[in-house]
Amino acid sequence: MIKLKDIFTIYDDDFMALDSINLEIKDGEFVSLVGPSGAGKSTLLRLMTRELKPNQGEVLIDGVDIAELTSAQVPLLRRKIGTIFQDFKLLSRKNAFENVAFALEVSGAEPDEINEDVPKVLSIVGLTDKAKNFPHQLSGGEKQRLAIARSLIHRPRILLADEPTGNLDMVNSYDVVKLLMKINEFGTTVILATHNREVVNAVGRRVISMEKGKIVRDQVEQGKYII
Amino acid sequence: MRKAIKRIFNSGWLNFKRNSYLSFGTTGIMALVLLLFSGLMVLNYVSSQIVSGLQDKVDISVYFKNDSSEDQVMTVKQDLEAQSNVALVTYISKDKALADFKTNHAGDALIQQSLAELADNPLQASLNVKAKDSTQYASIVTFLEANKLRSVMDKINFYENEAVINRVQSISNGVGNWGLGVTLVLALIAILVTFNTIRLTIYNQKNEIEIMRLVGGSNWHIKAPFLIEGGLYGVFAAAIATAVFYPTLWFVSSKVGVLIPGISLLGYFGANFFEFVPLILVLGISLGVISSFIAIRRFLKV
Repeated sequence: MIKLKDIFTIYDDDFMALDSINLEIKDGEFVSLVGPSGAGKSTLLRLMTRELKPNQGEVLIDGVDIAELTSAQVPLLRRKIGTIFQDFKLLSRKNAFENVAFALEVSGAEPDEINEDVPKVLSIVGLTDKAKNFPHQLSGGEKQRLAIARSLIHRPRILLADEPTGNLDMVNSYDVVKLLMKINEFGTTVILATHNREVVNAVGRRVISMEKGKIVRDQVEQGKYII
Repeated sequence: MRKAIKRIFNSGWLNFKRNSYLSFGTTGIMALVLLLFSGLMVLNYVSSQIVSGLQDKVDISVYFKNDSSEDQVMTVKQDLEAQSNVALVTYISKDKALADFKTNHAGDALIQQSLAELADNPLQASLNVKAKDSTQYASIVTFLEANKLRSVMDKINFYENEAVINRVQSISNGVGNWGLGVTLVLALIAILVTFNTIRLTIYNQKNEIEIMRLVGGSNWHIKAPFLIEGGLYGVFAAAIATAVFYPTLWFVSSKVGVLIPGISLLGYFGANFFEFVPLILVLGISLGVISSFIAIRRFLKV
């Protein structure tokens, strides 16, 4: 369970990125977070990975206020959460296999486990034959599928996707969304931040609309992209 | 644990290899820095040899009256040898002094003739005293002045040599202080150059570090391969510096030997090869690892 209570986030230039956010996301939900650029979608996700701390309020994951975590505990939180970004954030000096393996290595996995699990997850995202390719040798869609593979490798309970289709064409965007829905079917909570109307409408699940740092609409079932 | 260490070394080595342009540049600059340190060691060796050569030339002599006995001279010699600041005391008897004088003036017929006409040996017995340190001559003289056998001593030539001794002392101190100062300044510059080079190398990878943090990498998990990479720069830089230093030494050693007789750079650094190479290696690895450690800290705050 993710719970945000009375969240205010103000950036250094006095820009109010989040304004009085109250939100509950249950385990196993698929939530689309929609809104125009600057609405606060990415800021909300960055609070959940403790990239940012709120100026006011609490971000509770399974009842723990993550703003209170020590810097040594933050990596442990991030290993429970998978993250996907618009710019992929792949390690350019590591090949596809090593990019995925890194996320397992940091959680202390044994080499045998890594050698068994990484090919499986690369196969799920259709990148088996690209295992030795470096990110610059992959297309946009392949990079995003690799990022998904990396986010899945440690079987996270929560998956945060920040504009994962922002750099992709329609075909690749649907591939990515189908993958996210499949992941959600296995019980992972998925939070998808996007301003891609087609993607949100195709998913047809809970939709939270944001504007100027506030939640303006929360369609709990069969949500549509409305601004 | 062994697997984790193996992973860290593999990862550090892969970073080093895949980042070949940056690794090559950083290693090259570190090799120059280590060569600078090697140059400083040469400079220190040469200056210390010059100083010790000058100090070797300084001594004082105590001349004894003609009516003093050899026992009295030997008593003074033993007293001097018991002093902690005395390095060597050499006894020159009247006969030895005369023999030396004759040898030194063997070609001078007038002196030889004059000596032959003298009934007695006119030269005095003396003790030649070398101090462990040229600053100690004054206290040795003070000791002699207070000696119970002072009355059998004729003169102590310290007072004639005092200006020369002080000059040598001041040159020794000057070379020592300036040498230390120059070494410290150049060493500081070398450390700053290394640190900045490695900082730029790591800055180039700050996005990677941020990503590692975002996927749950702990500080040590991210840091360790960078430290290994820093150490590898040091290892390769030390190898390059050694490969350049010894052939250069072989080339210049004979020329330096001509300019400053008694100094053999190749002899000294050749004899100390197994001390010099590990020292440069440890210095290179330490510079690489410590610079990486400091440089990466600021990028681990995500």
